Amino acid sequence: MTRILVVDDEPQIVRALRINLAARHYDVDTAPDGASALRAASHHHPDLVVLDLGLPDMEGTEVIRGLRGWTTIPIIVLSGRVDSRDKVRALDAGADDYITKPFGVDELLARIRAVTRRAQPAGEPPPVATIGRHAIDLAARSVTGGEGLVRLSPTEWQLLEHLLRHPGKLLSQRALLQGVWGPEYLTETNYLRQYMARLRRKLETDPAHPRHLLTEPGMGYRFQP
Amino acid sequence: MARGELRIFLGAAPGVGKTYTMLEEAHRRVERGTDVAVAFVETHGRKHTHAMLADLEVLPRRTVTYRGVEFTEMDLDAVLARKPEVAVVDEFAHTNVPGSRNAKRWQDIQELLNAGIDVLTTVNVQHLESLNDVVARITGVEQRETVPDALVRAAEQVELVDMTPEALRRRMAHGNIYKPEKIDAALGNYFRTGNLTALRELALLWLADKVEDQLGKYRADHGINATWETRERVVVALTGGPEGDTLIRRAARIAARDKGADLMAVHVTRNDGLAGADPAALSRQRVLVESLGGTYHQVVGADVPRALLDFARAVNATQIVLGVSSRGKLAQLFSAGVGVTTTAMSGSIDVHLVTHERAAQGRRAQRLPAALSRRRRIAGFAATIAGLPALTALLHAGPSLSLTNDILLFLAAVVGVSLIGGLWPALLAAVAGSLLLNYFFTPPIGRFTIAEIDNLLALAIFVIVAIAVSWVVDTAARKTRQAAQAGADAQTLATVAGSVLRGERPLIALLDRLRETFALQSVTLLEDGVVVANVGDTTCTVAADADAEVKVDDHLKVLLRGRPLEASARRIVEAFAAQAAVALRQERLSAEAASAKPLAEADRMRTALLAAVSHDLRTPLASAKAAVASLRSADVHFDDDDRSELLATADESLDRLDRLVANLLDMSRLQAGALGVTLIGIGVEDIVPRALDDLGPDGRKVAVHIPDDIPLVHADPGLLERIVVNLTANALRYSPAEQLPVITASTLSGTLELRIIDHGPGIPADRWDDVFLPFQRLGDRDNHTGVGLGLALSRGLTEAMGGTLTPEDTPGGGLTMILALPTVSGT
Repeated sequence: MTRILVVDDEPQIVRALRINLAARHYDVDTAPDGASALRAASHHHPDLVVLDLGLPDMEGTEVIRGLRGWTTIPIIVLSGRVDSRDKVRALDAGADDYITKPFGVDELLARIRAVTRRAQPAGEPPPVATIGRHAIDLAARSVTGGEGLVRLSPTEWQLLEHLLRHPGKLLSQRALLQGVWGPEYLTETNYLRQYMARLRRKLETDPAHPRHLLTEPGMGYRFQP
Repeated sequence: MARGELRIFLGAAPGVGKTYTMLEEAHRRVERGTDVAVAFVETHGRKHTHAMLADLEVLPRRTVTYRGVEFTEMDLDAVLARKPEVAVVDEFAHTNVPGSRNAKRWQDIQELLNAGIDVLTTVNVQHLESLNDVVARITGVEQRETVPDALVRAAEQVELVDMTPEALRRRMAHGNIYKPEKIDAALGNYFRTGNLTALRELALLWLADKVEDQLGKYRADHGINATWETRERVVVALTGGPEGDTLIRRAARIAARDKGADLMAVHVTRNDGLAGADPAALSRQRVLVESLGGTYHQVVGADVPRALLDFARAVNATQIVLGVSSRGKLAQLFSAGVGVTTTAMSGSIDVHLVTHERAAQGRRAQRLPAALSRRRRIAGFAATIAGLPALTALLHAGPSLSLTNDILLFLAAVVGVSLIGGLWPALLAAVAGSLLLNYFFTPPIGRFTIAEIDNLLALAIFVIVAIAVSWVVDTAARKTRQAAQAGADAQTLATVAGSVLRGERPLIALLDRLRETFALQSVTLLEDGVVVANVGDTTCTVAADADAEVKVDDHLKVLLRGRPLEASARRIVEAFAAQAAVALRQERLSAEAASAKPLAEADRMRTALLAAVSHDLRTPLASAKAAVASLRSADVHFDDDDRSELLATADESLDRLDRLVANLLDMSRLQAGALGVTLIGIGVEDIVPRALDDLGPDGRKVAVHIPDDIPLVHADPGLLERIVVNLTANALRYSPAEQLPVITASTLSGTLELRIIDHGPGIPADRWDDVFLPFQRLGDRDNHTGVGLGLALSRGLTEAMGGTLTPEDTPGGGLTMILALPTVSGT
């Protein structure tokens, strides 16, 4: 059973989350402020933290840093702040994803699934994913379905593989550049943009309205299964 | 075989109707029984043009495949084989697809002409080689297709197909030239009224064969003035004499002939003691100039032609109008008049010498005794050198006079020289005179006997008399000069006072007049070290940068830059400065008065506004609350359909509330200057789909055309998304169901333009500014439009990111919002 720590000073939000998460068979702990959140985390060892940024006793980013001092458990920020700066700051501090309030419960649940999936031990199942009309088999390096033959270059395959192996999870530009091109290409965000555009053109049903290969402007990319 | 005749239809811009006019001509020739064939015509899908092709013989085109793409070109061989009397060939400057026989279409046309076929063709002014770079600078669009001017000049007939910029823009707005989604940043920029005016003017000038000399000026002006400033500027010089009225009228006629030329009258106030201006006449002429739409200026200068030309060059004048000299024939013998000198020094400025009824009648004898000019001093020396020997010779030759009379005559000569030439000639005359007396007239004759005390005394008396007389003369001259200077100053001050009372922004007008009067670079008014007003190219903020500093009071001072101030000018500058302080106070008072009025209005606005906002907040809140409360009520049972409908109502209402609250929050952040903007490089192709998703199912219907190679823009992703959501929501709201909005993106010189195009009812151009004002809807009676925050917020957010948001007519009807943002360079 997955244990989730919900940190928010707004009782209504906490209540709504507790009911929803419990109904999906998660164990739920709650904390109304930063100090009790850090205490609860060290006592109960949750598998995931859902964290508000504006807490009465300290900044949410401090809580993230406090947790990152000793654990790598996934942290999802749930905040009313919409500034790009706040998002980047939270992600830089070590958060795994960022959702703005008001939020859809479905979206939050999907993100929770995405970040906990990564945290599962290795021995991953053979990833076969679907994008539009195409079925993609990473092991066989084949794209089937759709009209005409789709051929991907080795770099395109590598990028696609990174995205598909973390379904639903936000991947930063840095992480993708490092993973696909190597550490000396960390600033070449233009490569990423071009290759993402190519992948969309080849795989998405409507490349101008991508459904699966998504850009989170300023944050990174996400494969939405 | 006789060579064919070439007729060219020249246009200032695409869409003026060149092809249409050419086809009309083709029809006329067909009616006259001429054998006409259309070899190549591009209708650009314009249906009126297409209809003109109906009854004409259209020859088939040649299809060429180049790099896998099919192009159609004129089939030259087929035309030569068909050999009509007249061939119609569009686009003279067209470049053929590589692999064709000739690189350019004009070469094809030469072959047709050589074969004896008459050709009708079209060309746009931007394709003329000599105008190419000018056009590129006006429009910002590089033209690759050019045609040598000589070829167009060699045509038997060149016909200008003319249309006013306003009419052309109307055609554009009606969708008769391009389809809305074809209009990108470059094309939109091309069709600005200013550009079209400049292009049209170029076409007219080129045709009038005036282009060579005009072009030089055009280029020179380009850096300084706005791109379309090809105007003439006529300066008329006024002496203050009665002939001024004639000159002003004549200059106004010259200005009227060049449409839109500026008229400027200038009077040079002389400060060298030569008065002559009649203040009453000048002020009457000033009124006349202003009534003819011109402006009146006054400069001070010793040398009239030079001062006049300095002024003319400073204002970029192209023509000067001067009266023919009114001095008598005798005076003209001795010195060239102002007109002649000005003409000689005018350089590229045309000088018109206008005759009038007072010409050469001699001016009123009001020339006052002059100060001791150089000319007078030279005359004094000349009189000494020529006069004294002559006197000596005369006295020797004539009857012998007594020594006393000789001495008195010499003394009279010295006094005469003093009166003419002042001190130095007088001294020379005194010494020379006494020596001559001593040598020729006092015994012993023929020898200098200075040593004798008597003769030394005589010399001393001569010198004393010379000094005394010349001192009186000098003093009188200096007084006269001061009087003249005071007169000039008084005249300038009178002008100053006039300009303060008249102008709309008296302070700036006043400082400008000061700058003009003393030929300064810049004049700056400082209050406690802070610049409150400045005219000229530079701004001085500290006294160290300035050439002169004039204090008005403890707080205000004026800094002048350009040249040091002589003591006499300082007084007048002080008067200017005092006036400037008055003008400043006057401006502040009127600004205060103006701001008091809106305050009362704002109060009324606020009440209405609160009603509107609270209505918009409460409506969705009420429906959500009602839906949820119904679901919770224990006394009724809802079936599944009702339940899901109630839930959907609550969800939709809350979404609506969310959008409104976000807009209100952003608006207040924007107004408080607390908006967090993080500019990063982002692709619009990532933002637009997200924005459309926000708009729900309707958003998915919007067509998006964004090229793959579009550069990144500097923007805040969240804010940009909000803007696109707001703009697209508006476009959707006003679009008819069968014609949904379109979003296109294009770039032009470092700017990306995102166009949100709708085909709704559009907005009249005079209301374009109003739609960006927040809270236009007041009160709580309208349920459909919202409080009118969307556009105001969008523009505010765009500007916070360093971009612009401007509306334009959609060709064929509707509104196009152009969101322009700086691109990330180097990508």
